[in-house]
Formats: sequence, structure tokens, C-alpha cells
Amino acid sequence: MSVLQRHNVHVSGSGSQAMVFAHGFGCDQNMWRFIVPAFADHYRIVLFDHVGAGGSDLSAYDPEKYATLDGYTADVIELCRELGIRDGVFVGHSVSAMIGVLVARRAPELFAELVLIGPSPRYIDDEDYVGGFSEGQIHELLEFLDSNHMGWSQAMAPVIMGNPERPELGEELTNSFCRTDPEIAKRFARATFLSDNRTDLAKVGTRSLILQCSEDVIAPPCVGEYVHRAIPGSEFVLLNATGHCPNLSAPEETIAAMKAFL
Amino acid sequence: MPQDVEDLKDLFENAPCGYISVEPAGRIIKANQTFAAWMGYEGNQLVGRRFQDLLSIAGKIYYETHFAPLLRMQGFFNEVALELLCANGSRLSVLVNAVERRDDAGRVRFIRITIFNASDRRRYEQQLLEARRAAEQASAELRELNLTLEARIEKAVQERMTAEDALRQAQKMEAVGQLTGGIAHDFNNLLAGITGSLELLRRRVAQGRLSELERYIVAAQGASKRAATLTHRLLAFSRRQALDPKPTDMNGLVAGMEDLIRRTMGPAVVVEVVAASGLWTTLVDANQLENALLNLCINARDAMPDGGKLMIETGNRWLDERTARDRDLPPGQYASLCVSDTGTGMPPEVIERAFDPFFTTKPIGKGTGLGLSMIYGFARQSGGQVRIYSELGRGTTMCLYLPRHFGEAEAAEAAEAARGIEAPRAEQGETVLVVDDEPTVRMLVTEVLEELGYRAIEAAAGPEGLRILQSNARIDLLITDVGLPGGMNGRQLAEAGQAVRPGLKVLFITGYAENAVISHGHLEPGMHMLTKPFAMDALASRIKRIITGG
Ligand SMILES: Nc1ncnc2c1ncn2[C@@H]1O[C@H](COP(=O)(O)OP(=O)(O)O)[C@@H](O)[C@H]1O
Repeated sequence: MSVLQRHNVHVSGSGSQAMVFAHGFGCDQNMWRFIVPAFADHYRIVLFDHVGAGGSDLSAYDPEKYATLDGYTADVIELCRELGIRDGVFVGHSVSAMIGVLVARRAPELFAELVLIGPSPRYIDDEDYVGGFSEGQIHELLEFLDSNHMGWSQAMAPVIMGNPERPELGEELTNSFCRTDPEIAKRFARATFLSDNRTDLAKVGTRSLILQCSEDVIAPPCVGEYVHRAIPGSEFVLLNATGHCPNLSAPEETIAAMKAFL
Repeated sequence: MPQDVEDLKDLFENAPCGYISVEPAGRIIKANQTFAAWMGYEGNQLVGRRFQDLLSIAGKIYYETHFAPLLRMQGFFNEVALELLCANGSRLSVLVNAVERRDDAGRVRFIRITIFNASDRRRYEQQLLEARRAAEQASAELRELNLTLEARIEKAVQERMTAEDALRQAQKMEAVGQLTGGIAHDFNNLLAGITGSLELLRRRVAQGRLSELERYIVAAQGASKRAATLTHRLLAFSRRQALDPKPTDMNGLVAGMEDLIRRTMGPAVVVEVVAASGLWTTLVDANQLENALLNLCINARDAMPDGGKLMIETGNRWLDERTARDRDLPPGQYASLCVSDTGTGMPPEVIERAFDPFFTTKPIGKGTGLGLSMIYGFARQSGGQVRIYSELGRGTTMCLYLPRHFGEAEAAEAAEAARGIEAPRAEQGETVLVVDDEPTVRMLVTEVLEELGYRAIEAAAGPEGLRILQSNARIDLLITDVGLPGGMNGRQLAEAGQAVRPGLKVLFITGYAENAVISHGHLEPGMHMLTKPFAMDALASRIKRIITGG
């Protein structure tokens, strides 16, 4: 299976510069549905799913490779090289914002711009650093996932099945969320919430935009500010949007901020 | 408040589920009485709080990363399992439905959330999950077992084969041990024959009776030759060989073993060999077959502690479809080798387990329980079968079937049995009955007796000797070997003789450890003992002393 099939890659749009969208923990490429149309005219749009999410090849999931963000980083580099991308735009949400940082360090030629939505280099508080979660809270999360996997998966199935109001979404959601393997989600949560990439930030030489929601439980504003301070020359925009997914809850504001940066 | 409004309010406040309305960002606008009660708050205390903040940390993270995006994409979600943190710190398992309410412009006005108490259901789910985990683990273990089974069987078989190899050798050594006693006895007999002949030879030469020398030379040579044959057979038997099937004539093999078997069986067992003429050749490891035959014979002997009859019989068998199936063999031609005894026989439960390794009914130190299992293994490996026919209290027949080999048997070793001439001799005066199965010994004793002026009557076996004792013939002394063929040992003969001739004097001539047979080393009055080999002079003076009552 090719790397493009492995990641359920979809390429669209008309433009020479590539714009690669990377989804975060809990979602798949569907989360970009309200953003993509605004850029399709001027960019070559690349959508993909991380291995273990959405329409990716679940059999390619290797617990060892994906135990840390390095495995995911290697995948992004591999698929971008496969597509011949150079000097593109990387748009990463949540944990994928950090994956974008790691990609920029390891393969700086791939992207000329990074758009980091809700980034967090470390979720757990550490001395003066505020990540938003105590160590105990993250361990509670991971323990809960260890003993409740059916709770989640059982709940997910009916969520996805019926969709009377917007049937056109049904297919996509069935295809993506239904395939969220709870076992993989659990491991992805571990890789995400135990990561610490603070030292990587200072070494990013790529133009970067940090998009921060004003109320975000997962990555609070002080974390976004930390990222902004750490990445040399980065731009910072605090959105009016609340929550962790401005690309879904406030697409227009998100698009505007991106366009202003680009 | 109008009645129907009151009704609706009651419906909302006291519904069996929690109702809340929240702003798009999650801030609670309205909560019903049921929900507030579950959470342990007064109704208004909840307004203004964010729904996410009422969730446990795992729920909060999943809500933000999974369910909030889902709600935004499809406009609702149903039956999401979450955990709420109550005012008193306890946790409440709930199932949550949510739906967006939009205004005409399509903007989200608020979100309506319905909360079901799911404590029971989650508990069942937990139990179900536990059960599923246990089942998964069990099937994983089974899978693992299946995967490694082949390798483990191979290893076990390998170990088993190594062990069996060692055991085969041990069995052989055990059989050799069984033989050694008997063979020592036989060697002493033969040595007695040789040294005695030589001594007589010397005397005759000294006396100048040169015409009689030939007899002694022939006797000594015969005994020497038999000793050599015995040695040869012993060596052949103890040699270790890998399984090496060769076309084999079982008649020749049995004939070659006959002598050895007779000696092993001891005098109390009559051995009869019935060799089928025109017996088919089989392809088999002759060494192993000899081993098997000997083991069958030893089992038969053990089943006949008071003696009996052992029959070894060969035959051709044509197994048709039915008989073959019955014996778990392909139909066709087989040569059979059967060993029958008149022993204890086996009850069905013993027959059933007789071929099991380590199954034995014999006391510790006597039985290994491996003889038959090895014979079985050998027979199956040779493309044949082994069967038990046994009647309790009457005897047992063990039959080996081996497939016919089309081709000539390699030169079978001819079994030879050079037997001396047996001629009763008589002189006048006192008469001595000499009973010994070894003609050379008999001859020497007779010679000594004649020299002493006694008359000698000879018998080669117990029953023959007893017949003479029961006759009117004059008998002053019975000289008998202890180990005798024909089902009656020397002691039994002596006792039977004393029964018809009270006061009968007896001189036992014994080979190896036969002392036990004669009253555990303690001799009754009138009985004497001389151990082989002995000098002619010692024999002469002993006989004279006994007869003259000295
Ligand atoms: N000829 C026989 N007569 C009666 N029982 C026999 C005979 N051969 C074998 N058995 C029974 O089968 C058992 C197993 O025999 P075997 O495997 O040769 O081991 P072992 O002789 O060391 O006990 C014996 O202990 C005995 O009970």
C-alpha cells in the first residue's frame, strides 16, 4: 500500500503552492471542511488522516512507531516528499501543530509557512511552565481510557449511525468516526498528552502563525503565548472563538487570520 | 400561572432526565430540577457554569477533542458516555445527547443537552468489558498455544525419542542382567565338562587306557564349542545398534535365540518352538526383534512363577480388509511371531493399559513398565502391530505382526544344538541316580561313579528322574542338578523322591546362586550340596562319604 493510500490522502484545489492540513487528536481530515473551500482556488490542497484515524490504513498502526510524535512526524515528511512538496504551507491543529514544528526542524525545505492552531508543546504543568493540566489529571485521563474503552466505543457507535438532520454528513462521519479504534485512540492520547517539545520551538526557522482561542481547555491562551515567545519571529493571533476547534466553531475568523498571515 | 403552563414546567423540572440549555461555548443558560438534584446544586447555582467544567478530566478532554467537533459537524450527538463531577465530589455516570438550535440565519442560538443517569448501565458495561477481556485473553492464550503446539510437540517427541533410545539400551542391559545369572550357570556346567574331561584324559593316559581317550576329547570339544556359541550370542545381543531394517527370516532368528531363551526361562518353564514352514520374510531390525522376543518371553516367565509352558510360534497371516481394519493395519500379507504362556493372564483393565509406558503391575524394582510400550513402538515403526490375547488364570498370547517383505532373507544364522549321546549305563552293587540336563556333567559324574564301583542311572530332566525314583529300581543316592529343564527343579525332584523313598540321600550339584532354591541355604537331613565347578576327586570322596553314611 502506498503512503498516499495509507493516509487516505486527498489532493484538490488549483494552485502551485501546497497547503497541507493536519488534523489533531480525536478528529480526522473532515475537521477542515469549513476552511478548505476558502483556499482551494489558490493552493494545492492536501488532506490526510494520521494512521489510526479516519480512513487511514489501520493495519499500518505500529504501537512502537506511534508511541511518540516522532512516528507521526516521519509520516508527514514521507507523504509530503511523495507529493513533491517544497515551500508549502502547513496548517496543523492541536497535536498536529507540534508535529508541524517537528517537521519544520527535520525537513525545513518542505514548508515556507506554518499555521499552528491551538498548539501546545507540553500539556502538563512543569515548575514555572503552565500547560493547563496537572500530572495527576493526565494520569487520570490515561487510566480512565485504560479501563473504559468500551464506554467510549459503545457510545460512539450510536452517535455516528443516525443522522437525520444532515444526511450528507452521514457517510463521511460513519467512515471516519466509526473507524476510530478505541485502542489506537488510547495510545494516541498517551503520545499526545505526555509529549514535551518545548525545546524544539526555538529551533524553528520557518515563518509561523499561532492561532489561539480565547477559551480553550486543552491549550489555554498562556500556552499559545509561550509558543509565540519561543518560536523566533512568529506571529500570534488571539481569536474571539472559544473552545479547541476554531476551524469548526469559527471558520470565518480562522480563515481571515490565516489570509492576513499568508 | 395557567394550568397548562404549570404542567409543562413540571414536565421540564421533574422529568426523569436532566435537561440543560447551554450557549454555543458551553455556558449553562437553564437547568432543570432533576439535573440540579443529581449534581447536588440548587437550580440557579448551575447557571453560568460551563457544561465542560462539570465533567471529569477525561470527559472534559474527550468532549473538547471528540464530541464538540462532532456536534459542530453534524449538529447533534447522541448517547455519549461521560462522567459528571457532583458537588459532593462523587461521580455520576451519564449518557448525554446534544442538539444545536439555530436561528433563521443559521447561527447557533443554543445547545440543548439531555442527560440520562447511566450508573446501572455503565456497571453492566464494565462487567461485560471484564468478561470480554477474560474471553479475549483466553482465546489469545489458546491461539498462542496453537501456534507453539507444533514446535512443542516436536520437542517433546524429540525428547521422548532420546529417552526411549536410552531406555531401549537400558532394557537391553536389564535383559542382559537377567541372562547373566543363567549364563554363569551354563558356563560353569560347560567348564565342569571341559576340566573334568581333561582330568579324566590325564588319568586315562596315566593308566595307559589310551583307547578311551577319544570320548573325552569329543566331550571337551563339544562343551568348548557350546561355550563359544554362548559367548558369541551374548556379545551379539549386547551390541548396540541403530534401527536397521533388513530382510529377516524370523524362523532363523527364533532358532538363534532359542538357546538363550531356554536358559533365561529357567528350568521350571518348558519351551516349545513351532516354526511355520515357508515363513515369509519380513523387513525388520533383527536386533530389535530379538530384543522384543526376549522381552515377551521374560514377561511370560514372570507370569508363570511356578513354571509352565512357553510356546513360540511363527506363521503367515493374510489380513483381509476387515481383519486388517480390526488390527489397525493396511490389508495384506504379514508374518507373525506369537509368544504364549500358561501364566496368570491379564484382566481387561491390564490389557487396556499394558502398552502404556511405565504401566506395570510388578513390584517396584522388578517392572519398568516399558517392555511392551517399546515393543509396541517398534512394531508400529516397522509397519506392523502387536496384539494381546489373554485369558485370566489361563495364559496369554502376545502376537507381533510384521509386513511381508518380497525378497530373500539374508543368510539366517543356523541354530545349532550339539547334543551328547545319552546312554543309560549300569554296574553292579549300589546304584546312584544322576539327573542333569548337561550331558557332559552327567557323563563325568557317571565316570566317577563307575570308577568307585557304583552303578549309575542317568536322567536328563526332573520328570524322567522322578519316574525312575517311583520305579522299583535300587537307588542309594540321588545326585541332581538344581536347575533342571522340564518343569521340575532339583529340589522338587528330591522332595518328590523322598516322598516315595523316605530317607533317600540326595547330593545337589549347583551352579550359580541356586542355593536359595535349596531351602535358603539351609539343607534338610540327608541332603548335601556340591558347588560347580568341582574337582573329580572332591566329587568321588563326597559320594563315597554320603553312601557309606559318613
Ligand atoms: N505374558 C503376560 N502375562 C500376564 N501379564 C502380562 C504379560 N505381559 C505383560 N503383562 C502385563 O503388562 C504389564 C506391562 O508389561 P511391560 O510393559 O513389559 O512392563 P513390565 O514387564 O516391566 O511390567 C506387566 O506389568 C503385566 O501386568
